[in-house]
Amino acid sequence: MLLSRVADNLYWGARYMERAEDTARVVRSFTDLILDLPLGVASSWEPLLAVAGSRQEYDAGHARVQESDIVRFLVADPSNGGSVVASVAAARENLRTTREVLPREAWQAVNDLYLFTSRDTESGVDRRSRARYLGRVMTDCQRLDGVISGVMRRDQAYELWRLGQMVERADMTTRVLGVRAATLLSATESTDDHDEVQWMGVLKSVTAMQMYQRSQRGPIEGTSVVRFLLFDKTFPRSVAGCVQRMRSALSRLPRAPDTLPAVDQMEALLATLPAQSDDGVALDAAMDRVQAALADLNTRVYETFVSGTA
Amino acid sequence: MSMAELRTTADLWDELLETDGSPRAASSELVQQLKGLGLAELQQRQDLAELDIVGMGITFTVYSDGRGIDRAWPFDVVPRIIGADEWRLIEQGLAQRLRAINMFIDDVYHEQRVIGDGIFPAELLAHSVNFRKECVGANPKFGVWAHISGSDLVRDGDGTMYVLEDNLRVPSGVSYMLENRAISKRAFADLFAKQSILPVDAYTDELNRMLTSIAPDGVTEPTIAVLTPGIFNSAYFEHSFLAQRIGAALVEGIDLVVGDDDCVYMRTIDGLERVHVIYRRVDDLFIDPEVFREDSTLGVPGLMRAWRGGNVAIANAPGAGVADDKVVYAWVPDLIRYYLQEEPMLPNVPTYRCVYDDERRYVIEHIDELVIKPANGSGGYGLLIGNLASPTELDEAIGRIEADPRNWVAQPTLSLSTVPTLCDGALEPRHVDLRPFILSGATSYVSAGGLTRVALRKGSLIVNSSQGGGSKDTWIVEA
Repeated sequence: MLLSRVADNLYWGARYMERAEDTARVVRSFTDLILDLPLGVASSWEPLLAVAGSRQEYDAGHARVQESDIVRFLVADPSNGGSVVASVAAARENLRTTREVLPREAWQAVNDLYLFTSRDTESGVDRRSRARYLGRVMTDCQRLDGVISGVMRRDQAYELWRLGQMVERADMTTRVLGVRAATLLSATESTDDHDEVQWMGVLKSVTAMQMYQRSQRGPIEGTSVVRFLLFDKTFPRSVAGCVQRMRSALSRLPRAPDTLPAVDQMEALLATLPAQSDDGVALDAAMDRVQAALADLNTRVYETFVSGTA
Repeated sequence: MSMAELRTTADLWDELLETDGSPRAASSELVQQLKGLGLAELQQRQDLAELDIVGMGITFTVYSDGRGIDRAWPFDVVPRIIGADEWRLIEQGLAQRLRAINMFIDDVYHEQRVIGDGIFPAELLAHSVNFRKECVGANPKFGVWAHISGSDLVRDGDGTMYVLEDNLRVPSGVSYMLENRAISKRAFADLFAKQSILPVDAYTDELNRMLTSIAPDGVTEPTIAVLTPGIFNSAYFEHSFLAQRIGAALVEGIDLVVGDDDCVYMRTIDGLERVHVIYRRVDDLFIDPEVFREDSTLGVPGLMRAWRGGNVAIANAPGAGVADDKVVYAWVPDLIRYYLQEEPMLPNVPTYRCVYDDERRYVIEHIDELVIKPANGSGGYGLLIGNLASPTELDEAIGRIEADPRNWVAQPTLSLSTVPTLCDGALEPRHVDLRPFILSGATSYVSAGGLTRVALRKGSLIVNSSQGGGSKDTWIVEA
């Protein structure tokens, strides 16, 4: 038994927490990357806005595109709903109304993180403390994940939580692919010495670096990175891996025949992507289609479980 | 810490200390430890307790600028102690009180024998703002209406424990009683190991048992829901806490619907699911817009129909508040004698009812020693503290009493007992009250102790957390 209202809060609570973790990770890995690139190599902070999917919101409030403003916007700005602090605060509000279905330690983990992130937001912006601040965000999100994996019954609340987490995670991986990978692929003609560093940055922005290297032999290479992040179901942050887990969650929730077609659609879409994809423009367009399919799934989840209009 | 730092106040009863400053029997272990610790170490334990409270997200909500703000729950690390022998008598007294009160409520909504037999004046019931005519003839299981109550107890200077009032509508605070214990076990782990302090955790299990016992006939494993006004209610933390502890769904009005079969259902991701027992934390007047306030968005249309039809149990039953006002309070000792043929074990604060000639004469003769209260409970209007009033004010009060004696009661001023409390790095005596929680269903249960509230300002008697009051853990100690 799970109340529709609570289901909605759980699903979104999971999305917000995953968003906080993912945003923290892309900002941190991007900061690392830029520090690695020698002076003179084009090192714009703009792609970070595109990966976060917040370019328009940013432009509405900022005249200049510069590091401190962008990082503050993505990490510390409570008025940006996608920022780390706003995501954690929203997750906490959602969890306040779901405390009776989640393990008590889950609430404490989120509450701790909320107290930490809201205390000294500027330390998430300052380069000297940024890595530590964002690292704490990621660790606390993983602590929450550990609590949920370790002590929660595999009930409806659990499956909705996983569903929300996977939808948000797939969204981030497709944005990383659609923006960063696609740009790099389009530029492969240029004999840029720093390609390898850039591709490492792509992998690190979804913590895939180590797992990619364990699964591949030889040096890092663009199309195999894309293949890994799209198709390797054994990696929990790959698009296919996320979609597989969405299917398993929805199969265990009521009225699966109403919701699973959206997953079928996503899998069909993935199957049409050429395995040796090295066309940046095509990859970007394909990622847009996967995101549209994610939005469609989101709507079906709402109509089936919350509004009862499906 | 020297003896001089554990102070009492002349003429006031201290819960931990005798008037000469030596520990009472049940508190000797604690007092010995406090002296050994010293103030700095005690303050450190206080600081750690406050960190725990923030970390565990133990909050209450206050309102400011039309917005609810979550505040950390105020807690003082020094516990209040009651000896187990004294507690057993209080426990029996509370159970006795609730038995009589429930019989009274059931009587009032049926034959009204209590009026017919001349025990309770008919005109007082006629003027009760909490009497719900919509509840007349309803038959909640076991004849129990007030399933969960929190009676406030205070101790006077001579050590007598009095019942100050009975909260029978939606009493709150029990979650803080449980949380305070969790925190104080960390602060004084060694003392819990060393002596026998009654555990409080059984409360939620007993609550679950009681709610299960009142389910509609034939339902042995009922679906239970806690009905909350929502996240903006000051007690939302508690609603959520209790739902979590008893494995109930935490629902708002919009989550529930009454079907054509007059049964209550909740909207779940599987569709509609039947609810058998509702622990409501929404006031009577808001639970069903079809019957009570039409503009209520907190309730469920048709809920009263389902309840009267016996398809759902509601705790506390609608209408139970009829016994929760200053008028009925003044009659409780008489009600105990009438319904149970027993003498009350726990005294009321002496309450003079101006409707009776002899009591009215006493009030008028001693008006400068008494607190005069309007009996119908309409706000604080007309409340007069005799020893603070001018002769003109006293004369006016006498005039009001003689014009409408039914509307007035009077009580002597009480001096609340104290407990040493950490204030600005020192231990100061501060006034406390105590709210135990009583469960009534197939059987009855009294919490082991209750929520001790403490007025943190010197001399203040105001213990409400919304007005700067704090709280303490309450230890029932086998001496």
